[in-house]
Amino acid sequence: MTRPRLGFFKFSCCAGCEFQTFYFQKHPAETLAAFEIVFAKMVLRGGAPEGPFDLALVEGTITEAWQADELKKIRKSSALLFAIGACAVNGGIPALKALAPELEVEGKVYKNLSPIHSIRPHPVDAYIQVDGYIRGCPPGERDLHEALTSVLAQKKPGFLRCAVCVECKLKGNICILTAYGMPCMGPVTNAGCDALCPTCKRPCYSCFGLMKQANAPALAKKFRSLGLSESDIRRKFTLFDADAALFSKADKLNED
Amino acid sequence: MYGNGMTGAPASRISDFLVPKASFFRWLDSLRESFSVVGPVAEEDRTVFREIASADELHMEYASTMLSPGKVYLYSPREDLFRISFGKDLTIEEPPRSPVQRIIAGIHACDTHAVFYLDRTFLGAFRDPLYENRRSNTMLIALNCSAASRNCFCSSMGAGPFLKAEKGYDMLLTDLEDAYLVEIRTERCRVLFNADATQSADAEVFRRKEEKERSALRTFTKTINTDGLDRALRENPEHPVWGRTADERCLSCANCVMVCPTCFCHDVVDELSMDMKTVRRYREWDACQDARFAEVHGGNFRARRTARLRQFVTHKLDQTHQYGVFGTVGCGRCITWCPTGIDLTEMAKAIQTRKA
Repeated sequence: MTRPRLGFFKFSCCAGCEFQTFYFQKHPAETLAAFEIVFAKMVLRGGAPEGPFDLALVEGTITEAWQADELKKIRKSSALLFAIGACAVNGGIPALKALAPELEVEGKVYKNLSPIHSIRPHPVDAYIQVDGYIRGCPPGERDLHEALTSVLAQKKPGFLRCAVCVECKLKGNICILTAYGMPCMGPVTNAGCDALCPTCKRPCYSCFGLMKQANAPALAKKFRSLGLSESDIRRKFTLFDADAALFSKADKLNED
Repeated sequence: MYGNGMTGAPASRISDFLVPKASFFRWLDSLRESFSVVGPVAEEDRTVFREIASADELHMEYASTMLSPGKVYLYSPREDLFRISFGKDLTIEEPPRSPVQRIIAGIHACDTHAVFYLDRTFLGAFRDPLYENRRSNTMLIALNCSAASRNCFCSSMGAGPFLKAEKGYDMLLTDLEDAYLVEIRTERCRVLFNADATQSADAEVFRRKEEKERSALRTFTKTINTDGLDRALRENPEHPVWGRTADERCLSCANCVMVCPTCFCHDVVDELSMDMKTVRRYREWDACQDARFAEVHGGNFRARRTARLRQFVTHKLDQTHQYGVFGTVGCGRCITWCPTGIDLTEMAKAIQTRKA
């Protein structure tokens, strides 16, 4: 059997998703054995960035024009392309700059703006069509494993799409939001982390991003009743989802 | 065996005893040699059902737990069904049946009724072997409730606070201050019961039991009128309370479903190994509040939040045609653990009174 040709590409991000895929998940050796690594900077010197690829995994937010051009080329040379990680899927941390005018953000960091060619940040699906979303910061073991084995088996991956609450209840965690009044983002956040933070009695901060059927305004109202200020609430909803949150202002129910 | 919860051996009342509490707990402790004894244990400021290492750990005066013992220990949040191996031949290997003999002590009347509901699902037309194995290897020691919590409405559903069913469980306890009234319901439990300092319960003891029940009934603050309730819900699928609650409060987080002791839906998941040689097939609780739940080829028949919320509420308060009983036992967990406090009894009242 020929092994699927894999390319791993990084835009504006910490490269944690590539580490997670090749080093930290439970099956790094199996992954390296199952795929032919054609391009992946963390595991292979050189490589062939031009492809072609059976599967491209793309991490990072698109924050510069050259990245959008690169991304379009990768799309054309890949049979399947999955966005991996909060940055590529939701905009993630780099998309925080979407909350202020571009020039203002640049001015806060750089004295001389002449070499800066930064653009508004967007997740990769703002520029190209994506075949799958491996959510998380870093991606959860279950979705990552599902994505890779689905490509091997040539089937549609069954990603988790429910709330973190479901994973919490499966583990029997006492709900920290209803029992202890902690401002937990679990009820609107896509599952996949196995309820990591709430299991440690820390409120979820939505690093997996809003789930598709999330009712953000209803949770914001709950947070208000817990005494959170408008700016606290805004920060909670925009930490990993700044780009999407701007959109959901107009489309309050953010549902299909 | 208990059949589908409706049949089974005729459970004649074998024996009723008055047992000092200390003596009862000594007996329960002695059973840990041959049984895994699960009961309500205070952890931090909450009570959870878990295996005990000593009867001293038990907190029998608990109000309600987040998850019902039946759903956790008879059903199971997640469990392996079988493993398929693709070698020269295709082999299918089922995990061995658990040999664990278990006792669940202190299960409330509502949660015992919830077990009967799970029985209708898993021991009905199709008998689920994993559930059946655990159900027959588990003895249920039910406990009548002395007082209702804020969200309890079991008295409206005929599922509490005192357990009226006479079969489908092994023993019933009523708290009489320093002693328990112990009513034994099965032969296997009668054989096992040898607590010291017991005396047979006379008419006076049962009079005290009735008194306790009357005083427990007085503590209820939440009620629901079940008269014509199923019809009222069925005839009002577009009542504004559905859309309003869905838009303003429902988070689609599925906490209601996950904590519901009668919600039985699960998803079946295949996990393929990276070498493509084995598939682990397991099941885990699933929830109709997840948009993906009703996704089928060509579309989603409950894409709207309103439709999903209505699905949960009507499964509890309508759909009596499914098993001939309401899907709720009135435990109130879905109200307690809803982050925005959605109350299905209030929704029902809005519909019954035709209020917009």
